[in-house]
Order: sequence, then structure tokens, then C-alpha cells
Amino acid sequence: MSLVHLSHVCSHLSNTSKARLGLTSVPSTNMILTISLALQQAGFLSSVTRGGLTPPPLDDLSSYIPEPVTQENISTRRLWLGMKYWDNEPVLNKMSMVSKPTKRVWMDVEGLGKLIRGRDAGFVAGLRKPGECLFVSTDRGIMESRECVERKVGGMLLCRAV
Amino acid sequence: MSVFRPVRCLFSGSSIRCSRPRVRCRNFHTSLNLYEQRRPQFPGAKASKMDLIDQESSEMEIPDPEDKNFKEYTSEELEALEKRYTPGQIKAILAGEAAIDVEDLERRGVIRTDIGGLPYFDDLSKLRPVVDRDQLYEGPIDPNARRMTDKEFSDAWQKEYDQAVREAEMPPPKTEEEAEDRKERLTGSDRIAWMKADDRVPHYMGTNGPIPRAHTPSMLAPGLPRTFLNDEQPKAQVKKEDDEDDADPRDPEGVYNRLIKQTGLTLDQILEYKVKILVQHRVVNQTRLGKIASVYCLAVAGNGNGRLGIGEAKGQETEETSSNAKIAAIRSMQPIPRYEERTIFGEVEGKVSAAEVKLMCRPPGFGLRCQHLIFEMARAAGIHDLAAKVPRSRNKMNTVKATYQALLKQRIPDEIARGRGKKLVDVRKVYYAGRV
Repeated sequence: MSLVHLSHVCSHLSNTSKARLGLTSVPSTNMILTISLALQQAGFLSSVTRGGLTPPPLDDLSSYIPEPVTQENISTRRLWLGMKYWDNEPVLNKMSMVSKPTKRVWMDVEGLGKLIRGRDAGFVAGLRKPGECLFVSTDRGIMESRECVERKVGGMLLCRAV
Repeated sequence: MSVFRPVRCLFSGSSIRCSRPRVRCRNFHTSLNLYEQRRPQFPGAKASKMDLIDQESSEMEIPDPEDKNFKEYTSEELEALEKRYTPGQIKAILAGEAAIDVEDLERRGVIRTDIGGLPYFDDLSKLRPVVDRDQLYEGPIDPNARRMTDKEFSDAWQKEYDQAVREAEMPPPKTEEEAEDRKERLTGSDRIAWMKADDRVPHYMGTNGPIPRAHTPSMLAPGLPRTFLNDEQPKAQVKKEDDEDDADPRDPEGVYNRLIKQTGLTLDQILEYKVKILVQHRVVNQTRLGKIASVYCLAVAGNGNGRLGIGEAKGQETEETSSNAKIAAIRSMQPIPRYEERTIFGEVEGKVSAAEVKLMCRPPGFGLRCQHLIFEMARAAGIHDLAAKVPRSRNKMNTVKATYQALLKQRIPDEIARGRGKKLVDVRKVYYAGRV
């Protein structure tokens, strides 16, 4: 559960948006997969696909069945993420970590409630930019902070996306 | 109290034992206890008792009865509807209208003024050009329709052109020279006839002659309607304006003449803008001939209603430079998104060189609590509630530029929602029923 890979993914996705790429790949781990799915559910990503070192075919991305993971190919598995752009602007502008590999930050529901109302909680700044999202790792999976408050679960703050 | 026991009652103790000793509560503050506070001798004067408030208007306004504003369909109207809509659609229309509560409409129905609102009132009984599409032809399609041959097309075109010329009442060319001259250089009304013919000429030949243009089933969206301007009018207007500007006492030196010509603004509009020089200092260019000093000016211009521009100028003369800067600012005015026309959307940051600016939205009535440069810019743009931080360099020029950048960089929730494919709701608007 190291956060090093996740921090790399955050910077990579920010850089990808700046470079206006349509498709990019990140390492395939369980945590990165779940957070990409959370990002997709929040509308930041258009697609999340398992694949190898080469990108999956774009024309039938929805019906594409990835090859099964085996002992031989497990080291070459990647997640291919489709980036979104709207009105000449990237939908995912900036992604940054809240917890760091050397300093994890946990938050209960009260603190999360403060954050989503735009107030600071602990050392964490509130979500004050329009459309800002905070992803939280809870015992029910990785969720957006607003969903956490709705379900009344707290957890470890992973990263924020604007 | 009885007359017979005046004294006894004073000396005898209470028949009921106090279970708890009475302790006098002392406050830690100097003001009196609540029960010790002085009561006013007279009851307070109320506005309603002094007939200051109109009793009828202060009461809750009762919406007009339903049958007055929302009449039921008459049988004739229903028949007319039946011609246009299917029974299912009519059922849906009736159900939809029945679902709207009149009281609710009265209390909570508001005309939207925010960015997402429509810029016009929706009157579905009329078709407006540009906004609405033309109605598609739904009649029978000729199975023998074919594209016209060149000969047929040129005949049809000539016919339409003659028709358009007749409508414009343009005299036919008298001499051959005139006719040739017209062919080379189309005059205004001639060109209109030409365009009208272009718009009306049929392209398809059916069983019974050419199919009219309106009945041609088209796969394409209809073209935009054209407005034909008379060539002579604008020239005359410009000449008039020139004469007026020379005589205008408000701008005797004609500083804004060029701006008026280029942008089409009137002098009234220009003078109404809030224009201010924010930065002005001397700059020096070192050449081999020596130091050449000049003046640098930075101005902001705004209409106080959501438009803001900044302009820079450099020159030898102070006055000329400052007026140049002002004109440049007016020229570069751009719309700035405002939330509820009073503050900005969330938090935005701008950075120019080492000057970083952080602008923060604030609730109504907060005011402009920010440094003077940002204050002036916000006032010119028509922002009333704002807080700002300039944490690093406070260079005046860069602060102004960074603020402008930040104001333009705002992301509008509607756009974010469309980008993400999500629905974002302004809870504030829901809570206050749109009356914010």
C-alpha cells in the first residue's frame, strides 16, 4: 500500500492533461485501478482499460476483452486511461496528493463534512475550487469525499482532483 | 390578604420548607440580570399600530385564482390541438399542465438571470429566425424527383431572378452598356435580387414540374437567413458622426475619435466606462546616446457590469500616454464570469512573474476586502464581494496582470458539469428558491 506509485500517477495525469494526450497508461495495481474507476465515475476519465505495453484498440474499446493475466505477462500489464477534454480545456486539470508516502492523513466524517463545505479541517485545505473532488480510501473502497459523507464513513485522504 | 392577619403573615415563616437553600446567583459580568433589567414604562411603538404599514399589502399576497390565469382548454382549442398532436401527446400536455401548482409557480417561479438561462422568453407559438430551425417539410415526397439538368436549372433561376427583380421594382436595363455594366458590378438592389433568386431557385424536378424549394426534403440544416444591408446608409452615418465629434465639447481634442470609428461605440458609452490609471512610472532605455526616459501607464476599464479590460502604453508625454493606455484598456474589455453578478466562482489563482494573486469568493454583503489595485479592478468589473491575497511579490503591474488573468481563468460550474457529464446543482439557489 505504498503511496509512491499513486503520487507518480497523480503527476503523470496532470502532465498528460498539459500535453493534451488522449490516452495514457499507468501501472496496473489494485489501488490505482480502484482510484481510476473512482475518477471515471466522477467524470474525469472517459475510459479505464486493462492492457499490455501497447495501447488497446481504440475502435472497439468498449467490447474489448483483455488477454488474461498470467505469470509470464503480469509484469507488462498496464492500465490505459482515456483523458477527457471539453471546450479546449482538459477536464482533469490538476491532481495532487493529500496523504504523502511519509505522512498519511486520516479524516472522520465530521472533518470530511467540513472539507466538502469548503472549510479547512486539520491541516487539509477545504474543497473551495468549483468542481474540486477529494478521493478517500475507506473500508468500503475508494470513494469521493461527498459520497463518504453521505454514507457516513471516514478514511485515509488520498488525492484531490480539479 | 385578609385584614385580620396583617402582622402574623409577616412574622411567620413559610409553611412549605425549602428543600434547597436559596443562593443568589452572581454574574461574572457587570450588566444586570435579566429579571432586574428595567422594563419600559410604555409598550413599544409598533409600525403596524402607527398605520405606517399598509395592512392589505403586508398580508400574504394571494395568487390569482386558478381559472383566471390558467384557463382550461375550450373544446375548439382541443380540436385544434388534436390536429397537431397525437392523443398521447395531448394527454402528456394536459398532465404536465395539471402537475404545475399555481401557488408554487407564484412563490418559487423565477425568471432565470444566470448564465444557464435562456436569453429570451420562450414563446412556442412563434418561429424565430436563427434561434429556431425551419420546420421540415413533412408532405409527400415525389418518387420521380431528380436533379435538374443545367438547362432546366438556368431557366428556373432566370425565372426566379426576374420575379425578384419585379419585386424590387428595379427598372430593366435600357441600353446594352448598362446591362453589361450591371453584370460586371452588381448594384445593391440587384445583388439582393440575385441572392433572393439563389435562395428560392428549385434544384429538383418532380412529376409535375420543378419541386418548390420549401418542399425539397433536405438532409442539411437550413441556411442562416441573411440580412441585406443597404450600402449607402453606413457611409452617411459615419460622415455625420465625424461632424458631431468635432463639435463635441466633452472630447474637444478628439482623443476618442479613432476608438469610436474602430469599435462603433458612442462617446456616451465610452464616458460611462469606469476607466482608471493604476500604474504610472518613468522607465529608462539606456542607449549609446544616453538614457532615454519615457512614461509607462497601465489602465483598467470596466463597464461596472461584468466587463473588464487592461491596457498598457508607453510614450514621452504623460497625458498622451495615459489616454493611450485608457483607450487600449477599453479596447481589450472582455466579459468576466460573475456568480450572482456580485462575486466570483470559487477560488482562483493567477500568476504573472513572481506576483501571485489568490481571489476568493465571499457571501453577499462582505464587500471588497482586498488591496487597492484589486479593489479598483473589482469595482470596474462590477464585483461586489471579494477577498484577495497577494502572498509573494507585490509589484503593481504584475499584480494587476495576475488579477486579470485570475478573473478570466474562472471555471463556470455549468461548463464543468458538461465536461464531466455530471449534474451540478447550485444548492444556494434551491434553498432560497432562486431568490438570491
